Amino acid sequence: MIEQIREKARELLENGELDVVIGYAEGSDPSRTTPIFCRKPEDTDKLVFDARCVNSLPNYLNKRHEYPRKGWKKTGIIGKGCDIRAITQLIAENQLTRDEVYIFSAECKGVVAHPEKWDGSLHEGNCASKCSSCDVKIPLDTDFYPGEKPKVDRSGPYEVTAPAVTNLMKMELDERFAFWRDDFDRCFKCYACREVCPHCSCNICITDRTTPSWVDQAAHTKGVFGWHLTRAMHLVGRCTGCGECTRACPVDIQVDLFNQRMKEVIQESFDYKSGYSMEVKPPLITYQTDDREDYIR
Amino acid sequence: MSKGIERHDFEPRIMGFVCKWCTYSGADLAGTSRMDYSPHVRMVRLPCSGRIDPQFIIKAFEQGADGVIVSGCHPGDCHYNEGNYYARRRNLAFRQLMEFNGIDIKRLEFSWISAAEAIKFTQIIDKFTNRVRELGPNQGYKELCDPYADRLVKPSEESAA
Repeated sequence: MIEQIREKARELLENGELDVVIGYAEGSDPSRTTPIFCRKPEDTDKLVFDARCVNSLPNYLNKRHEYPRKGWKKTGIIGKGCDIRAITQLIAENQLTRDEVYIFSAECKGVVAHPEKWDGSLHEGNCASKCSSCDVKIPLDTDFYPGEKPKVDRSGPYEVTAPAVTNLMKMELDERFAFWRDDFDRCFKCYACREVCPHCSCNICITDRTTPSWVDQAAHTKGVFGWHLTRAMHLVGRCTGCGECTRACPVDIQVDLFNQRMKEVIQESFDYKSGYSMEVKPPLITYQTDDREDYIR
Repeated sequence: MSKGIERHDFEPRIMGFVCKWCTYSGADLAGTSRMDYSPHVRMVRLPCSGRIDPQFIIKAFEQGADGVIVSGCHPGDCHYNEGNYYARRRNLAFRQLMEFNGIDIKRLEFSWISAAEAIKFTQIIDKFTNRVRELGPNQGYKELCDPYADRLVKPSEESAA
């Protein structure tokens, strides 16, 4: 599988069709992989693709990182099904055009929840929770797929809501508030959740703007609540559920629960699924005159 | 004509973010017509309800508001044609987000008030003020913002000591 990708990547780099291939390579220890930018054909031998490839590489395609660089005609990227959803969403938001990227992919069998849990194989105990309800293990839109791409039925229920979200919704309001207060008490605002997100694409994040300072920059519960609400609000209808924010969090706050809840709301209210179409606009930048307004007086 | 003054133990602080073409003019009409309504609402005039970023609402709660009211033109009446349609979608999502965070969305009100609806304006403000008064201070969020607030020496205690 990876041999075919390597071969194709090498070929395309050699004939100059691609300027770079972004992929995964062996990391600093056997449980990790690291992102790699292959500029030379021989670099492609380093590429790997397995259950340890947790990072979301489309992060490098959003404008914040200034990739694709000026002068690059085409960027090759290796992605799992969920990463390709993120790319699709970036295209739907006009952050990127389809001609700028060349997507390599292969069947993904799930990834580990966290590199620390890797013990040589992928099993139920260490598989990421997002993978259990994934319907894009065979990716949607690819330029290169090793072998024949099987037809998949994606008409079934889309992404079951995480049990954690349902449990939280069953709680009383006060309990839920206390839950978040205790969780957010640990947050020290490293902004890892923002840095790993493929969709946080502002050049200057609102928290980094100080005149006026909308979000308190101190790692105080007040500022932390403000930050997480802001972050979740900015990702409404855009988050593709890669779960990177939760994985990257050094203090184990389940940041993506917000996104999952909002995904549910958006699906109920506007019947929108993020990351499945390049043409349909995200729900908050468009409107219908007959939208729900049962909450308005 | 005046309703007379009623004293309560708790007087809520309410922020109003309103559209200048409809609700602000409606409030203006209520004022010039000398209608009575609760004096607890502090209004911020903005060009359109589509301009009202959820950030404003978060900030209002951070700064100690007990309730926030967002109001704009009726659908189809927007001065900028479509601002309130965007606001409608955005606020729907934002309310759900607040609820998921454990903040009572009864403290958040969204309404359509046109420039001619001074009576509706006074009714909505009165009803909302009463509702927030029943809910009491937004204690949870206030404690977040300043966990030591109750330990501060209040000006009255200081002068007594």
